[in-house]
Amino acid sequence: MIIKKGSFVIEGLDNVQINIGKIVEPGQESIIEGPTPRPEIISLRNWDYRILDRYHPVYTPTSDTCDYCTYGKCDLTGNKEGACGIDLESQSAREALKTAIMGAACHSAHGRHLLNYLIRKYGEDHPIDVGPSNLKAPLTETIMGLQPKTIGDFLPVLEYVEEQLTQLTASINTGQEGAAIDFESKALHAGMLDLLGMEVADIIQISCLNMPRAEENTPMAEIGMGILDSRKPVVICVGHNIAAPAYILDYMDRDGLFDKIEIAGLCCTAHDMTRYNKTAKIIGSMSKELKYIRSGIPDVLVTDEQCVRADILKEAKKLFIPVIATNEKITYGLPDRSNDPVDAIVDDLVSGKQAGALILDLEKVGELIPKLAMKIGPIRKARGITALPDDAEFKRLVSKCTKCLQCTRDCPQSLPISDAMAAAVSGDLSKFEELHDKCVGCGRCDYSCPVDIPVLNVIEKAAQRVIREEKGKVRIGRGQIGDPEIREEGRNLVLGTTPGVLAFVGCGNYPDGTKDVYDVVEEMLQRSYIIISSGCAAMDIGMYKDKEGKTLYERYPGRFIKGNLLNTGSCVSNAHIAATTIKVASIFAGRKTKGNWEEIADYVLNRVGAAGVAWGAYSQKAFAIATGCNRLGIPVVAGPHGTKYRRAFIGKPYRKDEWNVLDARDGSTINVEPAPEHLMITAETKEEMMPLIAKLCFRPSDNSLGRAIKLTHYIELSEKYLKKMPDDWHIYVRSEADLPVAKREQLMKLLEEKGWKIDWEKKKITEGPLRKVDVSFQPTNVPRLCKEAKK
Amino acid sequence: MANEFPFEISPMFEGERVRKDDMFVELAGPKSRGFELVKAAGLDEIEDGRFTLIGPDISQMQEGSRHPYAMIYRIAGKLVEPDLEAIVERRNHDFQNYIQGYMHLNQRYDVWVRINKDAIKKGLKSFEQIAKATMMLFKNELPFIEKIEAIYVTEPEEVEKQRAEAIKIYEARDARTRGLHDEDVDVFYGCTLCQSFAPTNVCVVTPDRISLCGAINWFDGRAAAKVDPEGPQFAIPKGEIIDEKGGEYSGVNEKAVALSGGEYSRIKIHSFFEYPHTSCGCFEVVGFYVPEVDGIGWVDRDFSGNAPNGLAFSTMAGQTGGGKQIIGFLGVGVNYFRSPKFIQADGGWNRVVWMPKNLREKIKADIPQELVDKLPTEEDVSDLKSLKDYLEKKQHPVTKLWKKEEASAEAESSDGDASQAGAPAWSVPAPAMNLPAGMPMMPPMQLGGGEGVKIVLKNAKITIDRIVLKGKEK
Repeated sequence: MIIKKGSFVIEGLDNVQINIGKIVEPGQESIIEGPTPRPEIISLRNWDYRILDRYHPVYTPTSDTCDYCTYGKCDLTGNKEGACGIDLESQSAREALKTAIMGAACHSAHGRHLLNYLIRKYGEDHPIDVGPSNLKAPLTETIMGLQPKTIGDFLPVLEYVEEQLTQLTASINTGQEGAAIDFESKALHAGMLDLLGMEVADIIQISCLNMPRAEENTPMAEIGMGILDSRKPVVICVGHNIAAPAYILDYMDRDGLFDKIEIAGLCCTAHDMTRYNKTAKIIGSMSKELKYIRSGIPDVLVTDEQCVRADILKEAKKLFIPVIATNEKITYGLPDRSNDPVDAIVDDLVSGKQAGALILDLEKVGELIPKLAMKIGPIRKARGITALPDDAEFKRLVSKCTKCLQCTRDCPQSLPISDAMAAAVSGDLSKFEELHDKCVGCGRCDYSCPVDIPVLNVIEKAAQRVIREEKGKVRIGRGQIGDPEIREEGRNLVLGTTPGVLAFVGCGNYPDGTKDVYDVVEEMLQRSYIIISSGCAAMDIGMYKDKEGKTLYERYPGRFIKGNLLNTGSCVSNAHIAATTIKVASIFAGRKTKGNWEEIADYVLNRVGAAGVAWGAYSQKAFAIATGCNRLGIPVVAGPHGTKYRRAFIGKPYRKDEWNVLDARDGSTINVEPAPEHLMITAETKEEMMPLIAKLCFRPSDNSLGRAIKLTHYIELSEKYLKKMPDDWHIYVRSEADLPVAKREQLMKLLEEKGWKIDWEKKKITEGPLRKVDVSFQPTNVPRLCKEAKK
Repeated sequence: MANEFPFEISPMFEGERVRKDDMFVELAGPKSRGFELVKAAGLDEIEDGRFTLIGPDISQMQEGSRHPYAMIYRIAGKLVEPDLEAIVERRNHDFQNYIQGYMHLNQRYDVWVRINKDAIKKGLKSFEQIAKATMMLFKNELPFIEKIEAIYVTEPEEVEKQRAEAIKIYEARDARTRGLHDEDVDVFYGCTLCQSFAPTNVCVVTPDRISLCGAINWFDGRAAAKVDPEGPQFAIPKGEIIDEKGGEYSGVNEKAVALSGGEYSRIKIHSFFEYPHTSCGCFEVVGFYVPEVDGIGWVDRDFSGNAPNGLAFSTMAGQTGGGKQIIGFLGVGVNYFRSPKFIQADGGWNRVVWMPKNLREKIKADIPQELVDKLPTEEDVSDLKSLKDYLEKKQHPVTKLWKKEEASAEAESSDGDASQAGAPAWSVPAPAMNLPAGMPMMPPMQLGGGEGVKIVLKNAKITIDRIVLKGKEK
């Protein structure tokens, strides 16, 4: 009998129908294992409660009313309940859940789009290939309890994510969940689903599209607003989904068009384009979208999904740049031309009859875009179309400024625009050049100006000199961190020579310009932290050069080893950063990963000195990623705009009993130092952020070598940037061996002043620390993992 | 915090390089001569903190010039002994690199130092400042040093003279290290540093077995145990010898129980098959049993292909680590290949049947000469069949075991001699158990609808979510 997928009727049997869903070949069995495979909303609630008991949700609501339903809007101030009975705390937690769901939905829908498309193209049986790893899909294994072998194995994974997201979305409806803590538990669930959705998206594209597979020495890609030869036709792809750009790149490759057409990406599509074809280039993050379009350099804009400005069509239309939308999620009201002949579409766009087109046939997109660019490019260049003013107009515009400061009030970064206008009147453009770096390109200033100065255009015009020189390098996204690299690095982590692993991720909504990211990353690299980056942050890190003209990517190698700088890839490659902590638990502690989220997260929280930094996080996606990392035990720091996410997870060191952990060896309770102190927190300035991230790398299991080095950097960063010793450094000292070696004696004197007892003869601390160092101490927050409990 | 030195001292400056253009002065290095040396001395022979300079000081040197450079430290303390000299000496490199604007490369007579111009601008003018900072760090980090003094030499003839002496000392030390074996000492050292990540792992460090990560040798363990006897590195009295060849000692077993939290109770330090040493995860090489040829293959981290058993390093390593005693796989550091007791319980080198070419090249000098050519690499064999043929053709010593095996199989009784190399190998079922998917080993299973089975169904509607086919023959 031949068994195949589908349903068939066996002849001769009376009214029997057998449906077979899937055939699994020998050796490919995906056996579902673990204590909590495919966790439902409630399955990991105990773990959530454990972390929420220590890391308190702190709310900073931007609105104290609720207007979700027709009872409202309801005033929730002063502990008032709304018409449905919800209070402000629960409503704020509900907002957090909603935000996390949106973010998770974005990445998972991206994954779903790719999965359907790649299965159509490569078949369900296309094998997963991510490089040299035993754990090929760590998040999938830890959450789903199974090991996927083919891309088709991800079908049930996304089905699970989609089902869970529907359940979670349902709980937001009026008259559903009412307790803040359970909204937060659900938000943590959504965050975890987000990590899973991202992992699926990136693993399948790596496996099918030949993107780098855990490679340490990927080539460099060019980045910046000044890298393209604008005399050639310019194609710019905007968004996050490689499916359409891949066809364009293939077509250009086949027809040898890379010399004739410039092609680059804005936002994460750019990363994935370079991963797919190293000839592609990167303009920059979402902050560059409006700026670059206004420059008039793009001749064709191709949009897909996520982080694409809502006004792209409107802006492009003014400059006669056709917009091709390629994804159902962003269609801009454009006519669906998926079934029309390419030449007819090109004619309609070149003649200006239509401003753009929706084309969901990606093969057609691949053929259309180069043709369109070749035709419309010369026409646009001849007309010299740009939104930027000429020199005379520029002078007229800057002198119009009345210094009313309305633009500064509306600016997300409160930039001193009128000062720059005044300086420009007297011919000094340097202030505008500075603004160009700090400006996130949102365009709100255009609307706020009462005398109708197109402020963004003025900034960009004034910054032409620096824009021409805006040419950096980014090491192309490497995908996962391979097991062998982690094994090699294990020694440094244990011997304390690597003080921690820092993920620099997220978007470009920086409080004080992209340069901050560069500065911080450089400082932490010099201190031997491992820096792993992805998405827009990975781009911005590559935008600046030292005095020898080298970017950080050129100065620091890309291996997972101390003092190295890694780029995993696009937004969905974030998953690999979180997944690396799972690998650590599996490789060094032999922890079972399948369906074992709680135990793994407990290991990460107590042992793995990793923290995330989303300095410019703006989107719901970034919030979802952070929340997912939190559930995995990884603390995250956001920039000051992160307060607008309205929720943080703050630890309170002064509540001593909240810092009890169990020793898994015997189940005894040990009061430990607050490590890590917070799970989700914002910092105001980079000066405040640096010591904070150093501190968030402390873990209860640190041996003395590790603690001493972590403490060294915590103290030094505080002294260097905040000009003072941290207030709480001594809390982290368990014995003299924990003290930074270069300052041991001075610090012991300070401890003595605090009332600690020092045996100066033996140079030992005899009294003072909260607890003793014990390298064999096995901290856990999960009672069932203790030896006594197992018996 | 107040700083008595005109420079910052921090691990942050470890990776700092001083380029030629930024350099004020170059000391020792490939174009000059120098060395560093630590010597133990009696407590009354040393004036703590004293600094002596023979030759010109920094302030007397010209910008851009090059000079010979020797750094000699004399240390004393109740616990100081000559065996610790090398360990202390190696730290000079770490500590001096903490000094901002001061680059220290290499060790012993290869040292190479540069001082950058910024350091001079900030107030560095004498070697005394460097020496004082270094001595402070030595004493802070290694409290068994009760007294320390430094003698720096920049006078060319004096450097030459002292260097000849130093080389003799290095040679004598190396001879002692090489000549020191497990049987020569009463104590081994345990290292639990990595328990912060690998909770049940215990590394036993002996003269013939460096720690798995390669970072801690017997002398390091000894030094660390002196700094803090209750710290992560501690003495393990050998106790009684239980199995000399396998390297099993009662003292080690007792510690194993205590430190692994009862996970295991016996360790044979030089055994692959019986109670092997645990691995944390950092191991550079993983050994794997190949039942088809009754030998052991080794694959290193840098080899990205598949071993003859069809598995890659990362797959096998995935079976090995996590501080667990796994039979059939063993993680080791590259240095263990240099041990004269290398898996001696299982026949040592005679049992080694495969390794990647690069690894073989790296350790060629330590492989018994007559075996080098009999040891195939990925260039010689690609699968189990070609491995077997190769070993047979080259008359690899492991082939002798095959004959023995055949013979004993006929006799159908085991000889019972556990110390006999290879004898228990076939009887260990665990390796096969641990082999991951991809190895044909499951018995073929008949699936529903197979021949000879009659099924009668009436009014049934069957929905199968999925069918898992196990062991279908291809």
